[in-house]
Amino acid sequence: MEMAAYESRSSVNDIQLVTRVVAGDAAAERELYETYVDRIYRLTFRLAGDDELARDFTQATFIRAFEKIGSFRGESSLSTWLHSIGLSVALNGLRKTKRIRNREGPMEEGLTVGVTPIQAEPDLKERLARAIDSLSDKYRAVFVMHDVEGYTHEEIAGALNIPIGTSKSHLFQARGKLRIALADFAPEWVS
Amino acid sequence: MTEDNFEEFLKKTAQGYNVPPARTPREEMWSTIQSKRAAGPQVVYGGGSQLREPAPRRFGSKVWLAAAAAALLLVATGVGIGRWTAGPSAITSVAVNATTEKPVVVVGSDQAGGSTTHQPANESGSGSEATVSPTPKVGSRNPEGRSASSAQSRLSGNEATRVATTAIPNAADRNSAYQITTTQHLSEAEALLTSFRSRPTADRQMDAQLGAWARQLLSNTRLLLDSPVANDPQRRPLLEDLELVLVQIVQLSPGSTPQDREMIEKSLQQDHVMTRLRTAIPAGPQRGS
Repeated sequence: MEMAAYESRSSVNDIQLVTRVVAGDAAAERELYETYVDRIYRLTFRLAGDDELARDFTQATFIRAFEKIGSFRGESSLSTWLHSIGLSVALNGLRKTKRIRNREGPMEEGLTVGVTPIQAEPDLKERLARAIDSLSDKYRAVFVMHDVEGYTHEEIAGALNIPIGTSKSHLFQARGKLRIALADFAPEWVS
Repeated sequence: MTEDNFEEFLKKTAQGYNVPPARTPREEMWSTIQSKRAAGPQVVYGGGSQLREPAPRRFGSKVWLAAAAAALLLVATGVGIGRWTAGPSAITSVAVNATTEKPVVVVGSDQAGGSTTHQPANESGSGSEATVSPTPKVGSRNPEGRSASSAQSRLSGNEATRVATTAIPNAADRNSAYQITTTQHLSEAEALLTSFRSRPTADRQMDAQLGAWARQLLSNTRLLLDSPVANDPQRRPLLEDLELVLVQIVQLSPGSTPQDREMIEKSLQQDHVMTRLRTAIPAGPQRGS
């Protein structure tokens, strides 16, 4: 449903909003921020696994977006354009800072605030988290966006600037790697 | 079927992966964004690590570095080619002594293959005595590899004077070099004429030495007459008169009569050669050195 709200924004609305931002309308800047900040923050948090990093990435995304807003031509949706910036910032930032998430603390808290109650075994969750972390950036980004955050392949392809088929291929590869990593838990999904 | 089960299982389980907080810290992040935008484009991640979009800048600096290196190489190649091609054809120029930074005129002997090096200035300030010192050539591009290791006497006989040389950076330095060379030559000529006038009347050995010295100076005089130095309206007549006197001295045989020497003396007096020579030689430390 949240996704539908974003989808409902027409390109006309995007262009109008961007035009106001370029003209220096502070209210338009805030509107743009309010519209997309949740998705950007959630995605960067999923990738970073750290609130401080997620905040930094989100802030950097909007700072860069406001700097480059004049170059937005409406060829893609504003959401795709912003996600492209956000992914670039997050993946480059993670690569540069080389900070590895500490898997110990927030996991239990995550279970309580997550959208869907998960009834998986703690060992399984830990194994899956490590397996996802070990994926390469491109596989991990596609997997997190599609299977965790619910993005479509069209959105993923636009944000990562790759063909849709490549997005699907990356997802297939990522799932295959995770399946191997979780082979010990095969009875869980077979049953 | 198993594949579908796995996908569903994976999606459910993965919901617990890096679960974000329920509330997005909108206001805090907005405040930070505003302050950072006001401060500048620098973005800091992870509590201190800086992300400054370094790739374009690194690339840019490499480009400039490469361009600077290429320019330097081009200039060095040009200078090298210029020096190489200009070296063998140089007839008259001045070498710069690396230790004293004084221009040094290298006078070579065609016969002996050696050369003597004349310091252009007499630091003692005595304009009546020219110096001949065996200063080695520095950086000479003489293709025949002549060295200045042997210090020939100023009375070294039938030597054709050759002025060899090295790098002359520009016209101003070249002009200065000519001035130094001329002053040096005139000083030496004055010394010769003074020796000639004060010599014993019947000394054959001295006559022979003076004749050889005069021959060397005569060659230098003619070279200077063909050089830009002769463009000076005061220097040219002096050099021409000096040439005449030197020819007379060279032609003075060891068995010459007193009348022959008297004739030379008259030439010196009529043309006021000695006075003009001393006037042309600056007193004190050599200027332009």
